[in-house]
Amino acid sequence: MEDKDKKKWIYRLEELTKEYNDIVGKKCANLGELTRAGFRVPYGFALGLDAYEMFMKETGALEEVKKYFLSFKGDPENTADLSKWQEASEVTRGIIESKSMPPSMADTILSYYEELCGKARIQDCPVATRSAGAASHPGQYESFLYVRGGEEVLRNIIKVWGSTLNQRSLVNRAKGNYSVEYDPIGVVVLQMINSKSAGVILTLNPSNGDRSVITIEGSFGLGEAVVSGKVTPDRWMVNKVLLEIMEKYISNDKHFQYTCDSEKKLVTIELPSELRNTPCLNEGEIKELVKIANKIEEHYGCPQDIEWAIDKEIPFPENLFIVQTRPETIWSKKQQKSVLDKKSSLDLLMERATTPIKVK
Amino acid sequence: MTSQTSSKDRFPFPKEVQIPSELNGWEEMYPKYFLFGTTPEREKFENGTLWLQDKLHAAEPIYPLDLLLQDAWQTAISASTTRFWCIPMAQGWYHRVLGCSFYATPAFYLPPEDVMKEKAEIFAKRVMGFFFKEYGPEMFESWRNNIKKVGEKIKSLEIPGELPKFEPDEMVFPDPSSWVSSGYKVLDAFYRLVSLMYEAWHFHRELGPAYLASIVFSDFCKKLFPNITGTIITKMIAGVKVEMFRPQEELARLAKLALSSPDVAKILKNDLSVQQKLEELDKSGTGKKWLDEYNKAQDPWFYVSCGSGWFHHEGCWLTNPDVPFEYLKGYIKTLEEGKEIERPFDELDKARKELVEGYRKLITNEEDRKGFDELYDIVRRVYPYTENHIFWCEHYIHSLWFMKMKEIANVIVKYGVLEEPNDLFLFNWYEIPILIYDLYMIWSQGEGIPLSENWKEKAKKRRQIMEAAKKWSSPPMLGVPPKVIPDPFVIMNYGVTDETVQGWLKGSTVVLEDITELKGHPASPGVVEGYAKVVTSLDEITQVQMDDILVCRYTNPAWAPVFTKIKAAVSDLGGLLTHAAIVSREYGITAVVGTGNATAVIKTGDLIKVDGDRGIVTIIKKAA
Repeated sequence: MEDKDKKKWIYRLEELTKEYNDIVGKKCANLGELTRAGFRVPYGFALGLDAYEMFMKETGALEEVKKYFLSFKGDPENTADLSKWQEASEVTRGIIESKSMPPSMADTILSYYEELCGKARIQDCPVATRSAGAASHPGQYESFLYVRGGEEVLRNIIKVWGSTLNQRSLVNRAKGNYSVEYDPIGVVVLQMINSKSAGVILTLNPSNGDRSVITIEGSFGLGEAVVSGKVTPDRWMVNKVLLEIMEKYISNDKHFQYTCDSEKKLVTIELPSELRNTPCLNEGEIKELVKIANKIEEHYGCPQDIEWAIDKEIPFPENLFIVQTRPETIWSKKQQKSVLDKKSSLDLLMERATTPIKVK
Repeated sequence: MTSQTSSKDRFPFPKEVQIPSELNGWEEMYPKYFLFGTTPEREKFENGTLWLQDKLHAAEPIYPLDLLLQDAWQTAISASTTRFWCIPMAQGWYHRVLGCSFYATPAFYLPPEDVMKEKAEIFAKRVMGFFFKEYGPEMFESWRNNIKKVGEKIKSLEIPGELPKFEPDEMVFPDPSSWVSSGYKVLDAFYRLVSLMYEAWHFHRELGPAYLASIVFSDFCKKLFPNITGTIITKMIAGVKVEMFRPQEELARLAKLALSSPDVAKILKNDLSVQQKLEELDKSGTGKKWLDEYNKAQDPWFYVSCGSGWFHHEGCWLTNPDVPFEYLKGYIKTLEEGKEIERPFDELDKARKELVEGYRKLITNEEDRKGFDELYDIVRRVYPYTENHIFWCEHYIHSLWFMKMKEIANVIVKYGVLEEPNDLFLFNWYEIPILIYDLYMIWSQGEGIPLSENWKEKAKKRRQIMEAAKKWSSPPMLGVPPKVIPDPFVIMNYGVTDETVQGWLKGSTVVLEDITELKGHPASPGVVEGYAKVVTSLDEITQVQMDDILVCRYTNPAWAPVFTKIKAAVSDLGGLLTHAAIVSREYGITAVVGTGNATAVIKTGDLIKVDGDRGIVTIIKKAA
C-alpha cells in the first residue's frame, strides 16, 4: 500500500503490541495488544506519530504555525494572557484544519477505512477518531464520535491533530518549555459500537484497594456519559475470584444517554423516567464483563482501568467490546507495602494470643 | 430507690431476676457450685462480668443429670487453655444455672501480668513450637483412636438387667471368689459413667489453639482483602469430608443401594413401622444384603443425636430409627425424581482449592504471600479438630452415655424406685449415687425394707418445675458488658464481639412484637422470600414442607436431609462455622444464622425475606 522505502506510519490494530507505545501512542498500542491477545476490540487502525509529522510538514502547516508563534507574545503563567492563548489556539487550529490530507496519505487512509467498513460489513461505517499520546495525558486532546464516510474520516483525523493546539495544551507546553507549535500524537480510528450501555471497569476496589474486587460502572448509551461524569452511573462491586456480585448501586439519575439517531449521527436523548433507575446491565452481562476484565488484568499482570461497551444488535456475549485499557496507578503503587510489615506469620499468632480484644 | 434492672449500660444481675414461683425449689436440683451468689466474694466476681445464656449448648431448661455434660466441658476446656496449652490471656469458663436456665461465660478479664508472661513462654513452646508445627493427619488419627477407646469403655460397661431376687448360679459356680453384688455393679457403673464423661471432654483440648489459628488467618485475610467475607474465609479453611456429615452420607449411600433393588426400595417407601420394615427386608436375599449394609453403617454413625446431643430425651438414630427411616424414604423419592442427594466431594474440594489459589494469586507482596501460605497451612492442619469433635464428643460419646444411663434407669424403674426411666435425669450426679445406694441397700437387706426417701414424690415435683421452666423466658444476658474479650473460643462459637454486645444491650429493651428486622451473620448468600416454618423440637422437623423457610434455634446434623426441601434457613444461634451455615452453603440455600431471637420474633406462616448477603431477615407480612 505505502511506498516500500517510506517509513510505515499506519497500522491495523492487530499489527500492534504494547512495544509500539512510542510509535503510535499508548491507546493505540494497548488496543493492538488486546486485539492480538484475542479480546473483542472493535475494528480499527492507527496512525503513528510519524503521520502527524508528515502531515504537518508536507502541507506546510508546521511552517505557518511556527511563523505565527514567532510574533506571538503571551505569558503562560499569567492568567490575564489566557485570552491571547485562546486566540492563538483558534488561529493555529484554523491553519491546520484548513489543510487537506496530502493525496498519498489520503489514499492510504481511505483504503484502510474501506477495509474497516468491509470487516464491519457496514457501508460508511461510523467510527471514532481518538488521540493517542505517547505519554498518557487523558482528556487533554479531543476525540470525535460517529464520524462517517472517507472524507469525514480524513477531516476528523486532521481535527484530532489540530487539537494538539488547543488552548490548555499550548499553555501546558509553554509552561514546560516544550516547543509550543508541535506535539506529535497518534490517532486511532475505531469502529463505533452502537452501544445500549457502556462504562468503565476498575479491577480493584477504588476505596480500599482490595484486589479481589472488580468495580463496574455503567450507564445507557455511549460510555462518554459515564467517563465525562454527566450521569451518575450504576455500580456493581463483584468478587473477582468467585464471580459473585457483592454490592450493587442502581442509580436513579441516569437522566440522558448519548446515542445515534436513524441517520447514524450522535445525539443526546433524555431518558424516560422508568429507565433512569433501571439497571443498565443484567447479571449475565456483569459476569461476562468480570471474566473479561480478569483476563485483561492477568494479561497485563497489574490492575487495569478498562472501558467497555455493549452493542445493541449483536447477540450476547459477542456484543461485549473493550474499547480501552490502561494500568491503574493509585493503589498499584501503594500495594507494594507488606501487610505483614516485617513480622512473620508466627509473630501474628503470638501477638493474637497475648493481645486481648478491647471493647469500647 | 427505683429498680435498676433495666439500666442501659448493663444487663440485670442474677439477684435482680424475678423467677416465677412455679419454679420454687429449683436450686435443690443442681450442685451448689452452679448457683449464683453462694458467697459474698463469688457474688462480687459474678456481678463484675457478663453471663450469656448458652443456648448453643442448652437450648432449653437444663435437666440436673444433663448438666454433668456441661460441667465436664467447663473444667476440661478451661484447664486445657489455662494449664495445658497456657494461652496467655485466656482464663477459662464458668457455668451457672438460674431458674433451670444454663449460663456460660468466659472470663472477661485478664490474668495478672506476670502470669501472662509465664504462660507466654510455655505457650511458645507447646503451641507455637509444637501444636502449630507438628499437628497433622497422623495426630488426628491418634486423637480419633483415643476418643473411640473412651467410647468402647462406655460400651463395655456391664449393667445388670435387673436387681435379681437371687443372684444367678453362674456367680457361684465354679468359683465365687470374683462375686460382687448386682446392686454394687449398678452403683459402680454409674460412678464409671460419670468419670468417663469427665474424661471424654478432654478431647476438646485442641479447640482453643485451633480457633486461635483460624482467627489469625481470618484477620490476615481481611487485611490483605478488606472486602473478603467470613463466608469466603470459612470456605477456604473448612474441610470437605467432615465427619459430622457422615451419618447423612451413610443414609444417601443406603438410599442409592436400595434403589438398585426395587423390592427393597418399595419396602423402605411404604408406611409400615420400622420393625415391620426390618422383618420384611429380612425375607429376601436383596433385603438381607441391604440390611447388612444398614447394620454396618450403625456403628458409629447412627449414634448421631436427633437433637443437639446435649439432652437425654433427644435420642439418637439408634434409639429412634424412625428418623433415619423417614429420611431414607425422602432420599429414595428424591433419587427417583432424578435428583442428586450426595454432596459432590470432588467438586467441593476443587472449588475450595480454586478459591484459595484465586486469592493467593492476587497477593502481590511476596512476604505476604509467604505469610498467607504459612498460616493457611497451620489452619488446615489444626482445623479438623474443630470440625470433627462435634460428631465424636457431642454425638457419639453423648449418645452412648445416655443409652448406658438409661440402662441404669431401667433397673431403678424395675425395682419401683422411680416411675419412668427419664425421671433419673431429674437428679444430679451427686444425688444419684445416694438414690442408687438407697436401692442397693434395701435390695441387699432382704424383703419389705423401706427406702430412705420418697424418690418418686421428689421426681414428680421436679418434673413440674421443669415444665414451668420451659414456659419462663429467662434473660438472655446477665451482668455487665465486658471490657476485653480474651478467649478465641468465645468469638468463634458465640460470635461475641464488640459490635454484638452493643447490639444485645440495645435489643434487650425492645418489645418482641415490634421487631420486623433481625440481624445475624450472613452464612450463605442469596436473597429469598417465603413463608416461615418455625421449628423448636424434633417432632416438628418432619412437618417442614417444600420451599418453607426453616426458622430454628440452631440446626443439628440429624436434620441435614431437610435441607433438600427448604428455600432458606434462619437460626437464633451460631456463627459462620456452625452446621446450618456449612450445610446451607453446600446445598446453595440462603441462610442467616445467629439472629438472637428469630424463633421468638417470627411465627410460622409469616412472610419473610432472608438476605444472606447482608445477614438480615425482614418480616414482610405477619401471619393472620
